[in-house]
Amino acid sequence: MTANLVNVLMGGVFHAAILFLVAAGLQLVFGVQKIFNLACGSFYALGAYTGISAVAYFTGHGGPPILFVVPLAAGGLAVGLVGLVVERGLLRFVYDRDETFQLLLTFALVLMLEDVIRLIWGSAPASTGGLYLAYGQARLLGATVPVYNLIVIAASLSIALGMGFLLTRTAFGRIIRAAADNREMAEALGVDMRWVYARVFTLGTMLGTLGGALVIPATAAMSEMGIELIVEAFAVVVIGGLGSMRGAFLGALVVGVLRSVAISVYPELEMLLIYLIVIAVLLWRPRGLFGAATA
Amino acid sequence: MATTRRDFLKVAGVAATVGAVGFPAVARGQAKPGVPSDPVKIGILAIRAGIAAPVGQAGLRGTEWWVERVNKAGGILGRPVQLVVEEESTPKDTVERYRKLILQDKVEVVIGGISTGVTLALGPVAEEMEVPWLSWDGTTQKGVEETMPNPKWAFRSVDNEVEAIVAGQLTPKYFKGVKTVAGIGNDYSYGHDCWETYQAVLKRYIPDVKFVLELFPKLGVTDFTSHIAAIQQAKPDLLMCSFWSGDATIIMKQAAAVGLFKSMKGVFTTAGGVHDSLKKEFTPEGLLLGYNTMYFDDPKGSPLLKQFVRDYKTKYDGYPPYECDHAYFNIESYKAAVEKAYATAGKWPSKVEVVRALEGIEVESLSGKRSWRPDHVQMCNFYQGVTTHKNSYDFVTINPIEVVSTKIAMKPAGSKLIEWINSWKI
Repeated sequence: MTANLVNVLMGGVFHAAILFLVAAGLQLVFGVQKIFNLACGSFYALGAYTGISAVAYFTGHGGPPILFVVPLAAGGLAVGLVGLVVERGLLRFVYDRDETFQLLLTFALVLMLEDVIRLIWGSAPASTGGLYLAYGQARLLGATVPVYNLIVIAASLSIALGMGFLLTRTAFGRIIRAAADNREMAEALGVDMRWVYARVFTLGTMLGTLGGALVIPATAAMSEMGIELIVEAFAVVVIGGLGSMRGAFLGALVVGVLRSVAISVYPELEMLLIYLIVIAVLLWRPRGLFGAATA
Repeated sequence: MATTRRDFLKVAGVAATVGAVGFPAVARGQAKPGVPSDPVKIGILAIRAGIAAPVGQAGLRGTEWWVERVNKAGGILGRPVQLVVEEESTPKDTVERYRKLILQDKVEVVIGGISTGVTLALGPVAEEMEVPWLSWDGTTQKGVEETMPNPKWAFRSVDNEVEAIVAGQLTPKYFKGVKTVAGIGNDYSYGHDCWETYQAVLKRYIPDVKFVLELFPKLGVTDFTSHIAAIQQAKPDLLMCSFWSGDATIIMKQAAAVGLFKSMKGVFTTAGGVHDSLKKEFTPEGLLLGYNTMYFDDPKGSPLLKQFVRDYKTKYDGYPPYECDHAYFNIESYKAAVEKAYATAGKWPSKVEVVRALEGIEVESLSGKRSWRPDHVQMCNFYQGVTTHKNSYDFVTINPIEVVSTKIAMKPAGSKLIEWINSWKI
């Protein structure tokens, strides 16, 4: 009984850990730039494929398999620099336009990145083979949990804490929050918004690409994997409150764990349950659980 | 229909492609008497995007390999073969491209179609356009029942649920004492139909079997950790899974991470379609694994199969899945039908004559002999077996290999699936 409960909970928390990284990137960008970045799912897919290539290169050149998380995370973070290119090359031209333009632009990115991935990595599913099992399994209250899942959960928690520290305890974090609160005032006080936007978007992208890279040993990459995730990330931000980092954390936990419980108790409810909560939140607390719109 | 700029560009693109790759160094064969010397145009529909893109790619690779060999040997009755490739996507768009192949490119035959959602729509259009259409992997079934019992122009693939029937027949042979079964499949027609069929077959062999859990995650889900937790909780003796894409690899890996198959048996009806991603590290021995209609590593395989597997490995650095064989059989059967009809007509046969020649024809395909049933359904063999690590690859293969013909594992023309299963004498 306990073992079953642990299995269900750990399944949910693992899913939530990945969901949080992507949703956090989405929230950060929305909080500051007021852009709802549909391409966050594509960045996630891009991170996954890059992670696979980085690991393949590493093990192919004699790297010890046990250290595969190093190239994995490095690859995931490095490809996040694509965010800088996207922000400087495309997004900065639409900040003053209607939201519709911004949505269309990020949606165009979704379609293009899917093709870019297919062009580079082909259409067959890709994976890191059996590396997922390199760290073995842990016994937790009678349940068997892959150690790699625990590593991902720990990494995601650390990133959540790190983001909290960055936003509340550092000068850059204060600038981000000031810019999210009142862009004109921040600019009047001498903040170079171009610089803030470029950094924030790159950081947001890196959260997504890192999420993709971290999840990939446990699964396999498919070019359209990002689209599936956008929908869930969207539920997370609605539940948590658009633009809120704490909201992303709580929203991811709610979606991840409830999905897992639903699958165990009444599988037909898997997706429905999440949307029921989304609807409930929209009706009774439209700003979300932490919807004060602060980054 | 007005030609928009977009349409024009598409056509221009196809024309350019055809210009570039249409005649790969064909030694212009001597056309037989009564046969025109211009190329014979064959339309191909292939999925190129989304979850089934690898399947479409495999079909195209099998076709291209065939074309290269046939053109080198002089083409069909001396006419070189020229492919016009279009994309299979949504039913509506694919129907339009299908019409375009016939009306604009003037192809002699259209070959391809994988998604039954699409081919269900193509069937009636094929009848209306009066050009033969041979389907790689799509049927005109709604659920598990045929919607076009007597087509004139449409030739359909094997029924989707045959792999589930074969797996149901083999389950009691390899796994004794199974009393409780859980099922997982994709949440669309194929996943549900396979599960329903597998249950019906298994009930015939093990009347008191209980089905304790059924899970239908959406197509494209990449995390089954929670589904596996639910399966662990249900504690079945056996898990049946009809995943056929990257999801098969994922569930295998995530199952291994919690040792799922240490406590239960596993049946994967169709995961052999992604066989080279089922690495030994996470795929246990002793599972029942289906390769659909071709098994690349068949020790009894023909020289043709062995040649194809070698060439495929050299060119694409991988091992071919079954879709290559569906595609190979389709286009090879067209060639055979044209030649058969020519033998009586003495000139390049009309489309009606080709269709008549196709009915009941048997040809040598990659996996061995395959044929068209008189009611236009593909007949072939299915390959399933028990996973083993004893091979030179880094992924599992099967041993023993069970070869089951559609003659015994597919419902006969005109019958209802479940009634037919329930009528078996066991």
